[in-house]
Amino acid sequence: MEKPKALVDETKCLACGGCISVCPQDALSMCGGRAYVIARKCISCDICIKICPVGAIGKEGH
Amino acid sequence: MEYDAVVVGSGPAGSITARFATELGAKVLIVERRAEVGVPVLCGEGVSQKIDKWNILEGSRWIANKVDGARIFSPNKTMVKIAADMAGNETGYVVYRDIFDQELARSAVKAGAKLMLKTEAKELIKEKGKIVGVKVKQLNDTFEIKADIVVGADGVESKIGKWAGINTTLKPYDIETCAQYTLTNVDCNNNYCDFYLGNKIAPGGYVWVFPKRKDEANVGIGILGSLSEKGMALKLLDKFIAGHPELKKGEPVRLIAGAAPVAEPVETVKDNLILVGDAARHVDPITGGGLTTSLEGGKIAGQTIGNAVKKQRFDKETLSTYETGWKKAFGKKLHRNYVVKEIMLDFDDKTLNMLADSVKDYNFQEFSTLSLVKALVFKHPTLLKKLAPLIKLV
Repeated sequence: MEKPKALVDETKCLACGGCISVCPQDALSMCGGRAYVIARKCISCDICIKICPVGAIGKEGH
Repeated sequence: MEYDAVVVGSGPAGSITARFATELGAKVLIVERRAEVGVPVLCGEGVSQKIDKWNILEGSRWIANKVDGARIFSPNKTMVKIAADMAGNETGYVVYRDIFDQELARSAVKAGAKLMLKTEAKELIKEKGKIVGVKVKQLNDTFEIKADIVVGADGVESKIGKWAGINTTLKPYDIETCAQYTLTNVDCNNNYCDFYLGNKIAPGGYVWVFPKRKDEANVGIGILGSLSEKGMALKLLDKFIAGHPELKKGEPVRLIAGAAPVAEPVETVKDNLILVGDAARHVDPITGGGLTTSLEGGKIAGQTIGNAVKKQRFDKETLSTYETGWKKAFGKKLHRNYVVKEIMLDFDDKTLNMLADSVKDYNFQEFSTLSLVKALVFKHPTLLKKLAPLIKLV
């Protein structure tokens, strides 16, 4: 089974852009003042999840 | 729409670039994704008083407080005090960053630059392989802005650089992930910018307490990305505040997140595209502070653009004046401080305590990296091995 992709909780995101700057696949962008994961580009490396200072990124289905 | 230069991002680096280019006669447009320049604030709000000499900010509305210096606390709370003019780039003034950014944008507009809000760059426009502008989205409209020069002032997350083929992806080792409160109802009678070090307090970073008024402080944390876990920055900041006798009495009136590159600078000129500020990684790798370098670099970028427009030459060779210029102004310092960052990351709490104890009575009126290294090595000859890479650079 494919690993779950990163997913931003937009109620928690404070739009600092840290996740976008570390994503090795350029799978994150800012959209409407919140970070957004382009799921087809995400390789589930979890770097963005660890970087997020406020814990706004988790895994799909969790 | 046609301009000599289009600047993506209205932070300090973008605005100062636009201003100096415009003052030399260039027709410049700044595009800003957000609805208000400088908001949300993404910063610790400390800046060196050396910006006074540059004469780039009018009035004093952007100044929250002028501090007497910095105090660094080691894990066992040994204090090292440094006067403001010696404390590096991040102390001197505590600012209102939103007003600070708006003042810089205002001066760019006053010089003749145009500014569009809620306008997001979506991609570079290329013709025959050459960059000729950016495609933007403004509310429901998508349109093209043609320009001879494109400036990426789009911050830590820079997409402009990526689109031009510059590798701007930061390694977790090269980013500080930050959370910050403005706390009110706290006693700030000690008029110092405080820094707290320790691997339990802030792994690979520090907690800062910057007094904004007598009863209000900007209290934040930066931790190294490679040592971070989900939500760790905010959790550790809350823990620090809860354990601090004064800060725990405060209430937050603002919570923000941030990210600071603590990397070596990237390639900043690619054909007719240039990167400035955080996008260029013009940030001190030790402190994560980038206001002074972004302003200094942005000014050089603006002058380079102005001269390029006068000559109507937009090739890499002409624009490389910018890269040569910032390297001369602060390139060596950024590289040296990157080496220092790597050395400091090896220090455990015991070493940090020992170092603080060695320099706590040091006369920092004569502060320089070289004199500090000499003092440390004299007291702790075993440090020589660790500091060796640095000695070559100072």
